[in-house]
Amino acid sequence: MSTSQNNDILLAISTPPFWHCGRTIRKNSFHTLVALTPAVIMSLIHWGLPAARVMALAIVVAMVTEAVCQTLMKQKLSQDNGTAAITGLLLAFLLPASAPWWLVVIGAACAMGIGRMAFGGYGANQVNATLVGWAMIFVSFPFQMDAAASLLQTDLIDPLLKLKYFGADAVADISLFDLLLGRQLGGLGSSQVGALLIGGIYLALRGVIRWEIALSFIIGTFLAATCLHFADSSLYAGPFFHLGTGSTILAAFFLATEDSCSPHRPLPMVLYGLTGGVLVILIRAFGSYADGAPFAVMLINLLAPMFALIRSHPFGTKPSKAGAADWRTRA
Amino acid sequence: MNQFIQEFTKGLWKELPPFRLLLGLCPVLAVTKSASNGIGMGMAVLFVLTLSNMLISLVRNIIPSKVRIACFITISATLVVAVELLMQAYAYPLYLQLGIFVPLIVVNCIILGRAEAFAAKNPVHLAIADGLGMGLGFTMSLTFLGAIREILGAGTCFGYPVMWDGFQPFTIMVEAPGAFLCLGLTLAAMNYGTRRQLMKKNRDAAEESTVSPCGGCRACSVGRNND
Repeated sequence: MSTSQNNDILLAISTPPFWHCGRTIRKNSFHTLVALTPAVIMSLIHWGLPAARVMALAIVVAMVTEAVCQTLMKQKLSQDNGTAAITGLLLAFLLPASAPWWLVVIGAACAMGIGRMAFGGYGANQVNATLVGWAMIFVSFPFQMDAAASLLQTDLIDPLLKLKYFGADAVADISLFDLLLGRQLGGLGSSQVGALLIGGIYLALRGVIRWEIALSFIIGTFLAATCLHFADSSLYAGPFFHLGTGSTILAAFFLATEDSCSPHRPLPMVLYGLTGGVLVILIRAFGSYADGAPFAVMLINLLAPMFALIRSHPFGTKPSKAGAADWRTRA
Repeated sequence: MNQFIQEFTKGLWKELPPFRLLLGLCPVLAVTKSASNGIGMGMAVLFVLTLSNMLISLVRNIIPSKVRIACFITISATLVVAVELLMQAYAYPLYLQLGIFVPLIVVNCIILGRAEAFAAKNPVHLAIADGLGMGLGFTMSLTFLGAIREILGAGTCFGYPVMWDGFQPFTIMVEAPGAFLCLGLTLAAMNYGTRRQLMKKNRDAAEESTVSPCGGCRACSVGRNND
């Protein structure tokens, strides 16, 4: 039995979907990069060349790591579709502009190597790859990851740290306009809230990300913050403060919406986003970390398969209890 | 004697407990924060495993098979208490480091697994060889994992600094997630190596005969496509 006989195809059976709108991963990546451009420009204006250094290094390391892993795994090289570049850029957005080079290299290599390629490549990861890399360096090197501790020359303040240590009254005079323009200390890109918002809305209008997830994430944050704020306004800051600080907007539009880690029917998407938004506020208000948004996104990424179980039953069948049917036919 | 060596060496690589059999993972993940912790835990398991294998093999013909599990647990619990008391007497700092995981050796899958799968069916000298081999393999694996985690996560190995000046410890490696990461990456590397060996073997076999030596499993087909 030679191998050539095995390869003679008599009948080919392909699986649905048979209809294709012509969109490709490369085009989606292109639109995402376009949407991130305003934030890149704003961060360059705010932080100057150090920000460019961090972003460029993260992108290059992410792409090189992907190439090395794909060579080892004997996969086709796919750096041209831009997903690795986006992972690197988003990771850079979460780092302070003063991040040392080795921190960026370790973060980007872990994000691509352990966050994505260890699971098999693009679309196979359960948790957002960017956040895996971010979490690993955030837990390991808290001092270098803290913008307030490493950027001493700036007169900007980190509003979330101020909220954590001085209470809600201390941050009451921070205007939303300043926050939108990025006049705050934080990750070099995640603090450019206004620019990210514009980019996110562009992506949602293009249909690259699902607007249900982003919108419900923001609504969840807003509702949870409002509830806490009305309960005790001297302890908990208002909803607009929470939306404008940290990486809430980045998480809502760019991190929580990653296709492979989020559910895809309307109701699960809304629940997924709402849970994420509420978790952001819970971690910020009661957790030990100042910014809860990345951790909240990682948690809902892990919950996504559970949300995906919520589905309508096929026409003509009885709705069965969750777990009653064979689990392989679900989700 | 030949069989003795064979049973002894299988635990060192072919059936390496944590990495091949994936047994006894609780201490593997929990106590390997440093190489010395790993070696201490490994020695404790080595002691318990060898003696329990020996005792169980001695009494294997008088235990009724319906209550054998309870008997195995009693024997290993006795030995674990002995280890615990010995540790408190002669290695108190290590005892404090390992904490609850020393008593937990009783329910370690390796002890019961080897008792059930091997010691209850084989004569005493083979059971001792099996226990020694498995225990040594376990100790080696724990020390290896502990050393990697300690070097990356604290910059030291057995307490001695091994990295350059200004090295920033990769702290996540000595935290709980680091244990899973290290174990997973080690398993991946070992599986990759095994796959390579299998492919090589199959390539040689395929060259010798035109008839396929197996039913076309993945490792085989990968090996042949690469020709």
